[in-house]
Amino acid sequence: MNFWETVTGSDLTREWTAFEVRAAALPDDYRAAWEQIKAHLLPHGSLTGRNLMPILDSALGLLEETAADGQSVHEVLGDDVQGFCAALADGEGAQSYRDRWREQLNRNAARKLGRLGG
Amino acid sequence: MDDLTEMLKGTLEGCVLEIIGSEETYGYAITRRLNELGFGDVVEGTVYTILLRLERNGLVQVTKRPSGVGPPRKFYALNDAGREERARFWTRWQYVSSRIDRLREGGR
Repeated sequence: MNFWETVTGSDLTREWTAFEVRAAALPDDYRAAWEQIKAHLLPHGSLTGRNLMPILDSALGLLEETAADGQSVHEVLGDDVQGFCAALADGEGAQSYRDRWREQLNRNAARKLGRLGG
Repeated sequence: MDDLTEMLKGTLEGCVLEIIGSEETYGYAITRRLNELGFGDVVEGTVYTILLRLERNGLVQVTKRPSGVGPPRKFYALNDAGREERARFWTRWQYVSSRIDRLREGGR
């Protein structure tokens, strides 16, 4: 990864394209799940979303493996796709918006309290 | 039995450690084993996130083997750290379950 790619994330576009090519080969219900997974994982993304790439790759790998087994996507992911995504992302140490908001709140509160001389 | 999810959350990882500890196996087989045990709600995605965590924490040895259909499968076996973690899990489980039993029996 060179400097230009680091800053612009241009290499990620290529990776995205590769993901979509793999996803296109999946059965319909799996493709729908893939769309859901992407939507649920995006809030865990950094600015360029680079931290999501290995997570998306492993999620897609699971879909490919289980689709080949002939399982239904419901057998694989159940009802809680969002929970699945949160477990994936948290494990990878991806920082969610919620964490960032919490941090911001803590920081602001600390500053205000500091100003009051508390 | 329904509504086990919340209660199982913390223990499922130990169950998976135990299953992998008895023989090298893969995600689908682990899920089936848990389903047979009576944990019908457990889906492969759940097991998968546990396996990822075990792998990241360096508790399992992962081998990729070609499968008859589709992409290669990942097989999991416990390494030394994994076996230690499994023992710790059973110790913790023993502690929790004995306390809860005692509570129900009204003792102290």
